[in-house]
Amino acid sequence: MVEPSLVLYGALYERALGVLDETLRETGARYALLIDRKGFVLAHKEALWAPKPPPLDSLATLVAGNAAATQALAKLLGEARFQEVVHQGEHMGLYVDEAGEAALLVLVFDENAPLGKIKLHGKRAAETLARLAEEALANPPKLNLDTQYREEAKALLDELFGN
Amino acid sequence: MSTINFANREINFKIVYYGPGLSGKTTNLKWIYSRIPEGRKGEMVSLATEDERTLFFDFLPLDLGEVKGFKTRFHLYTVPGQVFYNASRKLILRGVDGIVFVADSAPNRLRANAESMRNMRENLAEYGLKVEDLPVVLQVNKRDLPDALPVEMVRAVVDPEGRFPTFEAVATEGRGVFETLKEVSRLVLARVGSGA
Ligand SMILES: Nc1nc2c(ncn2[C@@H]2O[C@H](COP(=O)(O)OP(=O)(O)O)[C@@H](O)[C@H]2O)c(=O)[nH]1
Ligand SMILES: [Mg+2]
Repeated sequence: MVEPSLVLYGALYERALGVLDETLRETGARYALLIDRKGFVLAHKEALWAPKPPPLDSLATLVAGNAAATQALAKLLGEARFQEVVHQGEHMGLYVDEAGEAALLVLVFDENAPLGKIKLHGKRAAETLARLAEEALANPPKLNLDTQYREEAKALLDELFGN
Repeated sequence: MSTINFANREINFKIVYYGPGLSGKTTNLKWIYSRIPEGRKGEMVSLATEDERTLFFDFLPLDLGEVKGFKTRFHLYTVPGQVFYNASRKLILRGVDGIVFVADSAPNRLRANAESMRNMRENLAEYGLKVEDLPVVLQVNKRDLPDALPVEMVRAVVDPEGRFPTFEAVATEGRGVFETLKEVSRLVLARVGSGA
């Protein structure tokens, strides 16, 4: 296995949620996500006042794809990496920053959130989350999924994909 | 390499549909999307050009359901098949758990099948992976073409050692589509907890 899976759970997961929560409060952003480079959501928080978010799976996949393409572009130009990415539309914006090698921080914000705050607190949060991710990578959990898991999963495959 | 989210009790797998341009990868995903009931699938995302050629990838998340308290999900991706999109293709292979290689039965695509398989090996090698290390299922698609090559001939150029489980398909009619997906899912799940 070349690329270790990043798994957040227990205290590390709680701390990640805490960071996301604080970042929402400091910036006024709507949603904060920590995703892995493959595009899977590791942790996410929504501001209490925010409307229902778009599908997070799609969001995470597109952000990860985008980040991978951006990183490849940086390499082509002889750069180790590009800075954080901000996309801004008329009403909504997106902030994406690397949280270490294995993860990305994503903030979704609207016109009421000042961009300066998004960038400042986004950067800080990304640094904290990078350290959490590093800790998590250094302590991978032992997964106790056994033959019973595989048997049950097989039954579900039959149900969903037919016999 | 599956992504496990203990907090939400989720386990996620990434399955990539690979193969030469126009072999039917996107058609596979579209068929799956059209047949899986609501609630078991998410939005399908297609990054395509105006003439429906895949530019970066198609994406479809599926929900298998709960297994021993873990929500189990598959993220299906297709790659753009055209030769010049290799940079994007490589990115999509990152963290892959299983592969469906969609080969084209048309006689004039035999070489393209072989080249795509070679390209897949090269791209996997950049992640330090070998085809032999991963669950790979071969789908020989477009069996409805009047001049379709014999399956064995297609197989000889992409899988001469006969290593991969192989399914014949007509993706436009859904023939072989779920059989293929089920087999790759089964192989991927079989590696859970086995230390792979
Ligand atoms: N005759 C036939 N055509 C197919 C089949 N599967 C896909 N196609 C057609 O082949 C073309 C390319 O399919 P697409 O899924 O976009 O290929 P991709 O480049 O691999 O994603 C489309 O016009 C499809 O309708 C099949 O089983 N038989
Ligand atoms: Mg396509």
